[in-house]
Formats: sequence, C-alpha cells, structure tokens
Amino acid sequence: MTQTASAAKKTASAKAKAGAAAKASAGPKKARTKKKQGQAFPFTAIVGQEEMKLSLILNIIDPRIGGVLVMGHRGTGKSTTVRALAEVLPSIERVKDDVYNRTVSQFIEMEKTGKDGKALTAADMTIEDIQVPVVDLPLGATEDRVCGTIDIEQALTSGVKAFEPGLLAQANRGFLYIDEVNLLDDHLVDVLLDVAASGRNVVEREGISIRHPARFVLVGSGNPEEGELRPQLLDRFGLHARIITITDVESRVDIVKRRREYDDDPEAYVKKWDKEQKKLQARILKAKDLLPAITMSDDVLTDIARLCMQLGIDGHRGELTITRTAHAFAAFNGDKEVTMEHVKEIAGLALRHRLRKDPLETLDPGEKIERELAKVLGEEVDA
Amino acid sequence: MIAFTDIVGMDLAKQALMLLAVDPSLGGVVIPAAVGAGKSTLARAFADILPEGTPFVELPLNVTEDRLIGGVDLEATLVRGERVVQHGVLSKAHEGVLYVDSLSLLDSSAVSHVMDAMSRGEVLVEREGLSEVHPSKFMLVGTYDPSDGEVRMGLLDRVGLIVPFTTQNDYRARRQILQRNMAVKDAEGHEDTRDELNMVKGLLDAARELLPQVAMTKEQMQGIVQSALSLGVEGNRVDIFAIRAALASAALNQRTDVDEDDLKLALKLVLVPRATRMPEREEEVQDEMPPEDEMPPEEPETEDEEAPADTPDADAEEEQEETPDMIEELMMDAVETELPDNIMNISLASKKKSKSGSRGEALNNRRGRFVRSQEGEMRSGKVALIPTLISAAPWQESRKRERAKKGHKLNTALIINKEDVKIKKFRDKSGTLFIFIVDASGSMALNRMRQAKGAVSHLLQNAYVHRDQVALISFRGKQAQLLLPPSQSVDRAKRELDVLPTGGGTPLASAMYLAWETAKQARTKGTSQFMFVFITDGRGNIGLQSGMNPEAPKATKEEIEQEITGLAASVSADGIASIVVDTQMNYLSRGEAPKLAEKLGRRYFYLPNAKAEQIAEAAMS
Repeated sequence: MTQTASAAKKTASAKAKAGAAAKASAGPKKARTKKKQGQAFPFTAIVGQEEMKLSLILNIIDPRIGGVLVMGHRGTGKSTTVRALAEVLPSIERVKDDVYNRTVSQFIEMEKTGKDGKALTAADMTIEDIQVPVVDLPLGATEDRVCGTIDIEQALTSGVKAFEPGLLAQANRGFLYIDEVNLLDDHLVDVLLDVAASGRNVVEREGISIRHPARFVLVGSGNPEEGELRPQLLDRFGLHARIITITDVESRVDIVKRRREYDDDPEAYVKKWDKEQKKLQARILKAKDLLPAITMSDDVLTDIARLCMQLGIDGHRGELTITRTAHAFAAFNGDKEVTMEHVKEIAGLALRHRLRKDPLETLDPGEKIERELAKVLGEEVDA
Repeated sequence: MIAFTDIVGMDLAKQALMLLAVDPSLGGVVIPAAVGAGKSTLARAFADILPEGTPFVELPLNVTEDRLIGGVDLEATLVRGERVVQHGVLSKAHEGVLYVDSLSLLDSSAVSHVMDAMSRGEVLVEREGLSEVHPSKFMLVGTYDPSDGEVRMGLLDRVGLIVPFTTQNDYRARRQILQRNMAVKDAEGHEDTRDELNMVKGLLDAARELLPQVAMTKEQMQGIVQSALSLGVEGNRVDIFAIRAALASAALNQRTDVDEDDLKLALKLVLVPRATRMPEREEEVQDEMPPEDEMPPEEPETEDEEAPADTPDADAEEEQEETPDMIEELMMDAVETELPDNIMNISLASKKKSKSGSRGEALNNRRGRFVRSQEGEMRSGKVALIPTLISAAPWQESRKRERAKKGHKLNTALIINKEDVKIKKFRDKSGTLFIFIVDASGSMALNRMRQAKGAVSHLLQNAYVHRDQVALISFRGKQAQLLLPPSQSVDRAKRELDVLPTGGGTPLASAMYLAWETAKQARTKGTSQFMFVFITDGRGNIGLQSGMNPEAPKATKEEIEQEITGLAASVSADGIASIVVDTQMNYLSRGEAPKLAEKLGRRYFYLPNAKAEQIAEAAMS
C-alpha cells in the first residue's frame, strides 16, 4: 500500500511547479510576486475571434479609443485573449520606480520640487523602459486596494501616514482588465466611472488627501447572460467586441490541438510562436508611428456624422470613437488616408453598444448598422 | 466512514471521479442527485482514492469573502507587528479537491470567486491593503439536489464532468446499498474494503503514468467537435474537456488508444449534460445513407459545418471504423440514456410562515456581502478590524505621548479610541424578484405574452440600479412552465421568450405554485423581496393534480377554486406582494380577475390594451 501511495505522490508533486513555495509566503508585502507564473498563451496563436483581437490591437495603437468591452459566450477564449495581450504590448518610458508610471514632464508638473525642496528638472531624473502594464482587477477587490489607502505597516510601526497606491495607480498609462465586468460591485463601478471620466484618482480617506493620474484603457469581458452592464459603464467603453462559439469543425480541432500543445510544454510553445509575436509587435509599433500622419477627408467625416445621426445615437462619443478607431485601423493597415472602407470595417465595433435599446427590436444591432451604412454610402439595400 | 469502493450505485458519478483523479485538469465533477442518494458520501469518499497528502477542503455555504479569498490574519499581525497573510479556502485547496455540498445554494458572489480562481489557476487578493497572488489549482467536486435550483452556467462551464441526473428507483439497487452499508457498520475496517481501495489506487496510479502516451485520432477529435455542435453546446472549451475525458478513460483501461467506450463516456459526462438541443435519431437511417443526411434537416447551420468535415472523411474511408459520423452515432446512443424528466414532488403542506419575506434593506450592518467600512458604534454591527486599525494607526505616537503625560500606565500596545471604530457595511443581495405569471391560453394569449415580454424587458432595463431580477412563468394546457428563470439579463430574457406557445386550458393554480416555488428558491440565494405580476383574466380551469398526473380525476370547479384560494393565502402570508393585471378587452367578462386580486392583497389593474411600460410601472409602484 505504501508503495503505491508514494508513487502517486511523486506524480502529483512532479506536476506541481513553484506553487508550494508561494504558499509559504507570509512575509512583508514588498516581497510579493505580481508577475504571472508561467507564460501566457501566445496572442497570435489564438484561433478566430478576429473582432476581439482587432479591437485590442486598435486600442494599443491609440489608447484614446477608450477601451474594449468583450461580451459573448462562455468558453470562447475571452480572458485567454486579454491575458495574452501583455506579451505583444510595446514599452513606455517612465520615471524610474515611479508607482504612477509617470513621464518626466508629468512627474515634474505634479511634484514640482524634490525631497530637498529644490525645483525639479529633467536632468535630476533617471528614466526606465517598462512594458505597458496590464492590471487585473478581480471581482473581490475592496475599494481601498483599488484606489489606494494608508500604508498600515508604516503607520503602525513608525507612525508615518504614507500612501500606498492601489490598482488604479498601477494601471496608469496601461490597461485595466476586469473579467466578469457585469458582475462588478456597484460601488466599484462608481469609482471606475469617476476615474475614467476625469483621468485621475482622488483619495480622501483615513486622513490622506492625494490625487494622481489614472488614465488607462479599460478592458472588460463577460457573458451577457450573467447580468446586464450598467448603462453608464457601457457607454465608457470605446469598442464593443462580440464573441461567439466557433462552429467550424476544422478551426475547433485546431484550437484543441494548439491548446494541448501549449499545456504539454508552455515554454516550447511560446518559443514556437515567438516570431509571429514579434511580427505583430513590430506591425503595431509601425502603426503607432504612422498614426499622427494619417488624414481623413471632410467627406468621410460627413458620412460618419450622417451615419450616427441616422442611427439615432445620443451624444458625440459615437462619432469621436468611430473616427479615432478608423484612424488606428488605417494605420494598422499601413494606409495613409482613412476611407469609408476603413470605417465600414470598424463601425459595428464602435457603435453597436450605443444604439438605443428597444426591447421589441428583433434586428441585430450589427445588421442595423450595416444597413444604415449602406444607405449612407448610397448602396442598394436588399431588405 | 464508508469507503469509495463500498458505495453501491452512482456508477457514472464514480467513473467521473476516477477520470478526474487520473487527469485533474478536467477541472471537476458536478453530481446532481436527490436527497439521500449518497452523493455527499461519495464525494467525501473520493478523498480516499487520491494520492496521500492531497488536500481535501470543504467549502461551507456560509463562507465569507475573506475566508474564501484570503486576507490579513489579524491575530498574528498584531502579535508580530507586521502584516501576516492568511490564505483563503481557495488557495488551501491548491493541488487538491475543493468540495461543495449543495453547490446550487452557494451564494452568487462566492460562485464568482470560485469561477475566477478556476479560470486563473490562482487567487488574486486585492483587499484591505493586501495585494497578493496565491496559487489555486484545484479539482472542484460539487454535489447538489436539483430541486434546490440549478448551478450557475458560468461555473458549470469550468467543470469538465457533469454527471447526468437520475433518481434511483430500482429497489434492487437500493437494497444492495442498504446491505452494503449495514455490512460496513458491522465490520469496521474490513479487509476486503482495504484491498479494494488499494486496487483502485494502484489502477489510478498506473493510469496517471500512462496518460501522456494516450493518443486520439484526428477523426475522433472531429467526431467530438461535431457532436458538440449538433448538441448545440456553447463555447469551445468543452471540446478540450471531452477529449481529455476520453483520454483519461483510455488510460484507466490501460490502453494507449481511445476506443468507442471512452468516447461514449466522454460524451455522456461532458457533452450531453450541456446540450441545448437534442438531435433526433432517424430510425430508418441505419444503412447506406450518405453522411449529409444524418443531421436533422431542420438545422440549417449544420450545412456549412458539414463541408470541412467531409474532406478528412474521404481520407479515412478505408478504415471504416472511426469517422466523425460514426462517433456522432455513438453520441446518439449516449443521448438516449438521457436523464428522465424529473418530476417535482409537490407537497402543499409547507405553508409555514417565513420571516424572511419581510422587506429587507439593501445596506445593513449584519449580513450579506461586506462591501466597505464606515464609522459607527461598536455595538451597531460587526467591527471591521483592519479599517479600525488603519484609522487608529497614525495617532499611536501622539496618543502614547499624551497618556504618558497624564501619567497613565501603558498596558496595551495599541490605543484605540471610540472614534477609530469602523463597522462593516454589508450589502444584501437587494432588489426585488418580479415574477410574471402570464396566462398563455385562449385567444388573447399572444397579446398578453407580448405585453409581458415588453414589460419584462422594460423592467430589466430600467431597474438595473436596484439589482432587480425578473422571471416569467407561462401557463396553458395542463401545466405551468418556467420560461425564464430569475435573471437580470435582457439578452437572456429576449432569447428565452422568443418562442411562446399558446392555446389550451388554464392551469392557474399550477402557475401560482410554480411561482411560489421559484420565489422560495430565490430566497435561499439571498433575494428578499418578491412581486408576482399576474397577467390573466383570472379564470383557472385545470387543477394542480392534473398537471402532475395525467390519470388524476378531473378537478371540479370548486376544488380548483379552493386550490387557488389556498395558494393565494399562502403566498400573501409568505410576505409576497402581488398585482393582477387584467388586459381583457371585453368589459362584460370581467369578474374573475378582481376576485383573484382580492385573494392576493387587492391590487388590481384593469389595463385593456396595456402598453408594456404601463405594466412595468404598475409592478414597480
């Protein structure tokens, strides 16, 4: 009996990786390991779901697009894709070790003086390159961890009131990801709406008064059947990608094979896709460089405005998003001028969630947008 | 203690657990069974067949969020003067089993956390000044009684194996169970049992070792995918689960290739329980029909799926055995052993009054989910220790100095004043559950259903902030039917309500009963306020019994009347508010609906030609 038992234990422990080591960590928070253990599934190895992948890429090219909401069926790779994103993100410059990821000019503007009271100059600071951060906001997070709060250890041991930044600080200039966003607690949604609108986080609690920049690309995912998203939050997302079960047998077999290959040896698999990943990264960087030079004619702008008007979209966020997204899309394709062809490809993403909801409407929002778009372009509509 | 091998019956559940023991990446096993079927005994006995030292952690239903995810260990923190982290249940189950009894009763926020941990393989703790990542890869074993309600789909999606629900009605099996149980009690630690257990363990060890070498043909993979498609299973993750299950089954049988039985088992435990439609087997198509025709013709989308599957078929034609279509055929067999309709056992005796029916406030100081802390009296609620400490911390130095100045002795490490005390603010799952009970019989049925549907969508869209939920019950023919289980989702409401049957008798009593049951179930999950919205002319003509049992004698008018009166009294005694909306166009035929309203608390609305908004407003008023 003991023989079989110990043999079994061996197999079980062989499967375990660094798990046991982390379990014993009860030490101070500075020693925490925030880095994901192991390597994420490569972004470029994800089969299908082009809409979601494109939306994420366009947001890297132009973060002002305002984020992506990914809604759709269970088990279709929503969170896998978002978590794979980190590996294809470019890097940014920040002041060394700055918890808010600020640039030199932002740092000077906010801090004004150094510890010695002298005015700061750019020459005083060291810069470092970091990868655009992707911060995960779990559902169980409490408000103090999201916004930041007093550092209790310092307070207890030395009586110093120091601010310990939260997730919003970490996410500045990066991505903030919320899985199951439609299940997020209302009070956290309030916080997010506030911060997303102003681009800064204001903390007034426990005798602390601090404001810091918090501009991030909001990425949310969820299954619409688990619950509705608050309308104000829905409106905050620049793009809305829909994701459905892949029904093509070959693609599905392909998914299974890739997944199994990855599970067998994640490192080797990631290596195998390294070239593709680098290629995509380079393409994104090129698009980012190209973006400022991209032009759009007044005719295209007029068509966009007409489209939004005919769809009865309130406010101007629709037009703005569609314009920015079309620019990013053109840049991604290496085109210097935005045409209606570009607009056509991304209109659904930018407008789908902005249509007025009519409970008795049977037409899919995507179809409705396409139909109106065809009208604007003066094409024949086959009803 | 009854050992795994001693448990008689529940063979499929046992098989599922053994597959899980061979390949823990199957995620888990969910076992639905009626009370007393021995499901929890089986789940607990599962620990015996696992390698020694595998954690087995039971998740209590009343688990708090900080115990589930982890947090600050206050006692140790105070003693040591530095932050000490306490791991939550989810991380304690790492590399072992997380067992939940009555999975369907688990609070929805706890379910979300379990789902999240399963999806990441770790727990992110971002609470009360803590920011940590704890590994959390576990096998979820959940048992539940389907009459307590269903398990959330999102969770089931992360669990590979779902045992089909069957009630044990075979008396021989029951007798065997009884005998076996008696025998165990007679001879504690029986030798046979131990040998058997060791055998199973050895078998599992061998299977685990063999597993990496087990392979599956491409055709078999295609067959599984195709079966998932024709069963209308949502998502692509199931493919992987089904394949893993088949491989584990082969390994368990000491084979390196997958055979029919393995596939069948995988279909039974992975795909069939998630089916959203049942493909019909065409009896006559047993011989040389071309594969295109094997699919039921009424599913147009299968046409394009067929195309890519055909090509590899041509290659594999030589070896007649394992074409994807053959595997689909297997699937049909598996479908046929599908669960029998579970018949609700109704007892009208449970008319007891329940206190929880009274209106609860959304935010309170005692129960529900801890959302934040606020200043407050120590006695007015649970003290939030960490926030209290946080607010006291900055003042320690100055307070100590002050006390020293006054000449007080310092006998505590910490000086906490009254104004530091923070109490926890909890959030109950607030909101009201609106249950629409819609008469789908007679000529006006279509109209009523349209109104109800509109009202449902309207309520859902406008009531977001209140976290309200909506359910819809339609009744016609012999029985009422829960068309839309309690939900907050407009999408789901739209989808579920798209097809609505009409015509036939009017089983009002059955509908009332079903609504009451639905409310009671929701209550166990934390909803405290209910509103029944009847859209009917109030005329019931089918008795409760006729719905359950077709042979039951037809109830007389008086009996039906009595049932309705009794139910109405129970519902209102239970603290459930109701309104009756009468949309009858013919003014003269009114009369029954006001009477129904009278029984239910006198809220009657006569809204001929009502618009959806009007009904929604009436319900919210």
